[in-house]
Amino acid sequence: MKLDERQKWAMPASIGLLVAAMFTSLVVGDMGMSPAMLWAGLTHTDELAATVLWNIRLPRTLVAIEIGAALAASGVVMQAFFRNHLASPGLLGVSAGGAAGAVVAIGAGWAAWSYFTVPVAAIGGAVAATMAVVVLAKQGASTERLLLAGVALNALLGAVTSYVLSNFTLSYERNAQIIFWLLGGLEDRTWEHVLMAAPIGLGAVLLWPLGRSMDLLSLGQTEAQSLGVDVVAVRRRMLVLATVMTALATAVAGMVGFVGLVVPHIFRLLFGPEHRRLVPVSIVGGAAFVLFCDVVARSAGNLRLGIITALIGGPFFLWMLRRQS
Amino acid sequence: MSVLQLKNVAVPSRLNPVDLELPEGQLVGLVGPNGSGKSTLLMSAAGLLPAQGEVKWGGRELGEIPIMERGRFAAWVPQEAQFSFGFSVASVVGQGRFAHGDDGLGVAEALARFDLGKLADRPVNQLSGGERQRVMLARSLVVAPNIYFWDEPLAALDVKHALQVLELARELTQAGATVLMSLHDLRLAMCLDRAIVLDGGNLCADGDPETVLSNELLQSVFGVKVEKTDGWNLHLT
Repeated sequence: MKLDERQKWAMPASIGLLVAAMFTSLVVGDMGMSPAMLWAGLTHTDELAATVLWNIRLPRTLVAIEIGAALAASGVVMQAFFRNHLASPGLLGVSAGGAAGAVVAIGAGWAAWSYFTVPVAAIGGAVAATMAVVVLAKQGASTERLLLAGVALNALLGAVTSYVLSNFTLSYERNAQIIFWLLGGLEDRTWEHVLMAAPIGLGAVLLWPLGRSMDLLSLGQTEAQSLGVDVVAVRRRMLVLATVMTALATAVAGMVGFVGLVVPHIFRLLFGPEHRRLVPVSIVGGAAFVLFCDVVARSAGNLRLGIITALIGGPFFLWMLRRQS
Repeated sequence: MSVLQLKNVAVPSRLNPVDLELPEGQLVGLVGPNGSGKSTLLMSAAGLLPAQGEVKWGGRELGEIPIMERGRFAAWVPQEAQFSFGFSVASVVGQGRFAHGDDGLGVAEALARFDLGKLADRPVNQLSGGERQRVMLARSLVVAPNIYFWDEPLAALDVKHALQVLELARELTQAGATVLMSLHDLRLAMCLDRAIVLDGGNLCADGDPETVLSNELLQSVFGVKVEKTDGWNLHLT
C-alpha cells in the first residue's frame, strides 16, 4: 500500500488497535470474562465482575493508556527536539531521572508525608535529567553524542539509586516500592493513580497544535525560525511537556522503557514523519502498545511491565534498524 | 524604499561593522574567500544570528516585526541543509507556506521549476547534495518574500541548474523582490546587478560587478592572479 493510502488509515487503525487492547485488558486476568460478563460488570448487574472491573481492571487499563500515551508522545517530541530518531525518555535518562527522584523520596522516608511527594520528586528528578541532557547533547547532536550523554546520565542516576539502596536502612515495604519504580508495573493501580496521571491528557492536547512547528524544527532551528516559527517558545513548550508527561508516567508506573523509542519509530515508518499525524497516532498507538504489553505481562505469570516492553520493544527496534540499513 | 538596511552590523571576531542598503528589485552577490564573513553577514541580515547594530526590513526595525511576519517577508536558504527525518520533497517545499497558514500555494509550480516533480514523493534524506539544495531553493520560492537570503545556493548545483537559479533570481528581481546571495563562482557573480566583496570580516568593495571585481581587488582578496576574458557571461540555451 502506498504511503498516502496508508496515511488515511493511520488514525482509524490506531483507534481500532486501542479499542481492541482496552477490551483485551478488561477481559483478560485471573478471572476471565466473557463480553456478557464484562457488560454485566460495567453496569453493576454482576457484583463480583463489577468489583473486579471497577476496582482493579479499569484503573489499571486507564493508567496503562495514560502512561503509553505519555511515553510515546514524549518520544516523538524528544526526537523532533534533538532531531534524532534515537532520542527517547528512556535512552536519554529522563525516565531514570524520574525514577531516581522517586527512589530518593521513598528511601528518605518522605513518601509518608503526602500522597503527592513521590510524584513531585519524580517530576523534579526528570526535570533535572532533562536539563542535564539539553546541556550534554545539543540539538542536532550526533547519535553517538546523544547516546553517550544518555549512557552517562543513566549510569549517574543508577549510582544515585544504588546509593539509596545500599546506604539507607530500608523496610521490606520500601524496598518493594523501589523495585516497583525501577522495573515499572501496573499492579495495584487505583483511581488515585488515574487521577494523578490525568494531566497527561492535558499535555497531549497542548502538544497537538505544535505538530507543524515540530516538522519545521526537526529540519533545523535556524531554518524553522526563518520560516516564522517562534523557536524559543516552541522548544520550551516541547521540553516542558515531554518532561512533565514522562515524569507523570514514571510517577504512577515506574520506569517503563522502549515505548518512547519504538512506538514513534514504527508509526513514522508506517505513516510518514509529519508530526500533525505522528503525534496523535503515537499517543493512541502508544496507549495500545502498553496495554498489550500489560496483558502479556499479566498472562505470563504477572511479569513486570518494564520487562515486557523491553522484551518486545528491544528486538523489534533492532529489527527495524536492520531493515532500515 | 530600501528593502534591507544594515547600520553598523557586527558580530565579534567574525564580522566588523557593516553599513549596507539594498533597494527593491536588486540581484546582489556576496563574494569573498572562505571565512570572510559572507554567511555571518547573510545570517545577521536575515535576523538569524544575534548581531550588534541595526537591521531594518522595509524600513522597520527587525525586533519590531513579529516572527510570523518575518517568515513572510524574507526567505532563507542555508549553505547545507541537514534532513534528519524522511519528509517527502513536496512536504518540505510546502513548509515554505508555514507563515501563510500552510495554504500550499505555489508548491507544484516550485517543484516543477526546480525539476523536482518526479522526486515529489521521495524522502529528502535520500537525495543527493544538489537535489537537497534545489529542495531548499524551491522552499524559499514558495515563501514569496520581499527578500531572499541564499547562502551559496549554487555550490552543489550542476551548471544547468546553477544557470536556472540565476535566471529565476533575475525573474524574481524583475518582479520587485531582492535577492542577496553568497557565491564563489566569480563568472556567475559578473551576471548580477551588484557585487559586495568581503575579506577578513570587512566589507571591502560594493558596486557594479564589472567595476568592483577588478583584477587588482581579486588578487588582493583571493591571493591569486585572475584574468578576465570574453567568456564571463554564460547563457542558458
